[in-house]
Parts: sequence; C-alpha cells; structure tokens
Amino acid sequence: MQAIILRVFAEIWREQYGTAPPVIELQAPLLDCGLDSLGFAVLVTRLELELGYDPFTLSDEVFYPRTMAEFVSFYEQNRPAD
Amino acid sequence: MTRLGQGLALRPCTTPLLVTGTAVLRLADLPPPGRLPPSGAAVTVSMHGVANLLAALVALDGHAARMLLLAGDMPAAEVLRLAEAAGCDVLLSDRADLPGAIRPEAGHGAGPPGVTRATEWILASSGTTGLPKLIRHDLSGLSRSVRPLATGAPRPVWALGYEPTRFAGLQVLLQAVLGGGTLVAAEAGTGLAARLGLFTRAGCTHFSATPTLWRQILMHPAADGLKLRQITLGGEIADQPVLSALATRFPAARITHIYASTEAGVGFSVTDGREGFPAGLLEGGRLRIDEGRLWIRPAGPPPGSLGPMPLPMNEDGFIDTRDRVERRGDRVHFLGREGGGINVGGAKVQPEMVERAILMLPEVALVRVTGKRNPLSGAVIIAEVVPREPPEDQAGFRRLVIQHCRATLPPEAVPALIRLAPELAVNASGKLMRG
Repeated sequence: MQAIILRVFAEIWREQYGTAPPVIELQAPLLDCGLDSLGFAVLVTRLELELGYDPFTLSDEVFYPRTMAEFVSFYEQNRPAD
Repeated sequence: MTRLGQGLALRPCTTPLLVTGTAVLRLADLPPPGRLPPSGAAVTVSMHGVANLLAALVALDGHAARMLLLAGDMPAAEVLRLAEAAGCDVLLSDRADLPGAIRPEAGHGAGPPGVTRATEWILASSGTTGLPKLIRHDLSGLSRSVRPLATGAPRPVWALGYEPTRFAGLQVLLQAVLGGGTLVAAEAGTGLAARLGLFTRAGCTHFSATPTLWRQILMHPAADGLKLRQITLGGEIADQPVLSALATRFPAARITHIYASTEAGVGFSVTDGREGFPAGLLEGGRLRIDEGRLWIRPAGPPPGSLGPMPLPMNEDGFIDTRDRVERRGDRVHFLGREGGGINVGGAKVQPEMVERAILMLPEVALVRVTGKRNPLSGAVIIAEVVPREPPEDQAGFRRLVIQHCRATLPPEAVPALIRLAPELAVNASGKLMRG
C-alpha cells in the first residue's frame, strides 16, 4: 500500500514541479513535504482510480491525516473486504 | 452615531488590542495613522500591516466622509482603478508600490479639527467574475453582530484567519476589538505552521476562518496546541466532513458556521454542527428560496453599491446570493453556485474555461468538466475527454492533457483526473449534458 501511495505521489510531484520527488519522512507533517492540500486532493482522486476505493468517502469517521504514516494507515484500515 | 474610536475607548486600557508576530499593542500603542487628510475627505486604505490598518480605521471613522478598504496585497493598478471608481482621491498606505500614498510614518498630525460625521465604509466584493462590486456599509451595520463581553466572562482572544478588509475579516476584527477581546494577526505572507504557532502562543480561544483554511489546519500538527472555545467557519459553504472533523478534533469548542456576503451582510449563523441551515429560518422574513436560489434581506437599511453595477435586489428588498439551495425536510442544503462554478480549495473554477483550454488540443474531440467532492479541498476537477483517435498510450495521452492544462490554467483549474471516454452524451440541441 505504502509503495503504491508513494509511487502515485511521485507521479503527481513530477507533473506539478517537473523535478524528482523528495524523500518522504513518514512522521513529518504532511503539508511540509512541499505538496499542498490541493496536491493531496489530487492524490486521493488518483488513488481511487488505482485502488478502486476512496477511504475518505467510505469511512463513517471523518479524518484529516497529518503525516504520511497516518495517510497510509488510513488507506490500510479502510480497505474494503474482497 | 458611535465612532470606532469611541467604542474602543470603553475597553480596559491594559487589555492588549492586537497581537502580531512581533508586537503586543494596547490601544495607546497603535502606530500613528499618518498625516490625516481633511475632514470629509474620501480616502482609500490599503495596508500590509494589520496595526496600520486598525490605526487608519480608528483615525478615519467619523473623520472621513468615505473610506474604501482594499487588501494590502491587491495589485497596485487595481487599487488605483477602484479608488477612482469610488471617487477616493486620497490614499493611505504602508506599501512601497503606491508612491503617491500618505504613509503611516509621515507623522501624527491630528489634522484640521472637523465635525464628527457619518463615514461610509466601502468594501470590495470578492467578484468571482469580472470586476468587484463596491458595496457601501457603515460601522453600525458592520458591527451589528458584535457581542459585548459578558460581565466576568474570560476575555476572548481572536485568531484572524481572513484578509482583514474583506467582509468576514472585518467582522472578526470588529468583534475582537469592540467585544472587549484581543485580535491576533500574523504578518502578511506568514506560512500556516508559523501562524498556528503564533495563535497557540498568544492563547487564542476564538478562531474564524474559511472551510478551506480549516481543512488545512486539520491536516497540520501545529494546530495541536490550540485551546479553542469558539470555532467559526465563514466565507464559503461549510460541508459536513469539515464540521464533523472539527467537532472531533476540538471537542471543547462551540462550532458556528456563518453565511454572509459583502452585499447582504450576515444571513444566518448555525451552531448545531450540521451542514446547511434549519428550514425554520425561512419563516423569519429575512431568508427566502426563489427559483432554486437563496435570497437574503439585509438586517438593516439596504447597502448601496457604487458604480454602474446595481445590487441584484428584488422589489421586496431581497438580494440574490446566486447560491443554489434545496429544502429536504427540516433542512436547507447548498447545491453549488448558480452558473456552475466549482469551489476548489477556496478558488472558483468555471468548468467551461477548463473545457475551452482542453479543446485547444488537436488530439481532443470532446470534453466535459465536472466537480467531484473531496474532503481535502472541497472539490476537485474531473475531465472526461473523448480523443479524436483512440490513443495507443492512454497514460501518455492523460499526461499530455494534464501538462497542457498546467501550462494554460491556474493550478486549481487543472483536472485532478482525466477520464478517457469513447463518447459523451449530448442533448437535443447538441449541448453537452451536465450532471
């Protein structure tokens, strides 16, 4: 899961800035990595295409991730049962 | 008619009026407003510094006939154009790019003594299309919803989350300073982490911001130190995810979402934590649904507009908000803007503009652009694209469209996702069918 998320993150980064993406610190504040909240909105939209689900609309609990670790684990916890 | 300065004089003199990243100011510490223009002048105010803005408001209210309040980061040419449109021939500014302005450091001249007069406060509406409208208010109307500090109640410390010359920002500024509290405002250009740090150190208890800013705050660990008693959302429509997330993150805070516009003033405020507003408010005589849109009758005398564009007001004095609404049972819900604008991270995007940009590509036959709700930005842009020829490399085709949009559109208008479609439905007159 983490590998997929970081791959799509890297894709969006290259689209937006045309440079190699930074190394992501999993515990650092999400918005400090250089991608803004609109960039993360794009990430959530692309991941829905890639993974087939959007945990932000599936989950009853409203959640705003603050670190990449929280972002990844939210996707893992809300993965629909096959 | 109470002047702003008279209202502030009632405050306890030791209570800080304004806290910035570099200073704590009581009323007596406000910087001099500069050499004042003659009483009765029509003045434009455009300040970078909130302290300079506040000093100018105190000096000019009751002294100038008219003051036009413009954001400190508005392009200089726009400031000059609006000043001319408002008939304001004096400019007060701390900006380096407005050379003809009277500057705050020009010294504290009390100015020629003049009679206390009613001062018009002119605000520029955000103007999602074309020119901003100039809307005439006065202090009594702007401070109508200011709540005085109850005896024995702790002093509120307000974090400023808006541009202070916008309607929502002025509401916070006036509530803070006339309601016996303290206003905390970061210097222009301060990043979110540093702003949240300032608000935490200053002990902010009250915080008003747009849903867009609240979403960013919810994603920021620097907000963990905030001890908020009052959270207010304004300036955009608040949706359920952001209201629910705020209630979970700040369980001790009362959460209010306010609907207001520069033209109509405050329409309603709701504190039940649910999006939309109770249908019962439609019985109060100030809100009405007509042609699927929300109309508001201003609480006081109707505001006027300067210039050629009249307010969209009907014969009963209701102003068209252009927000589409729908009543479902006991609740009225917001559906979006009339004209189909999509709110992406606080910026309005017209889908037709994105469609026109994509259609410039010779490889594209048809395109339809829609909005999709997103918890992190309110909405994102989705483009369904019909290629002229089925592309061999679909991913490459998507990248081509995205790169073209990046080069020709503002960031918020670039689609988050390109869906390739074999065809798009059109109606009998050949127009694209929209959602």
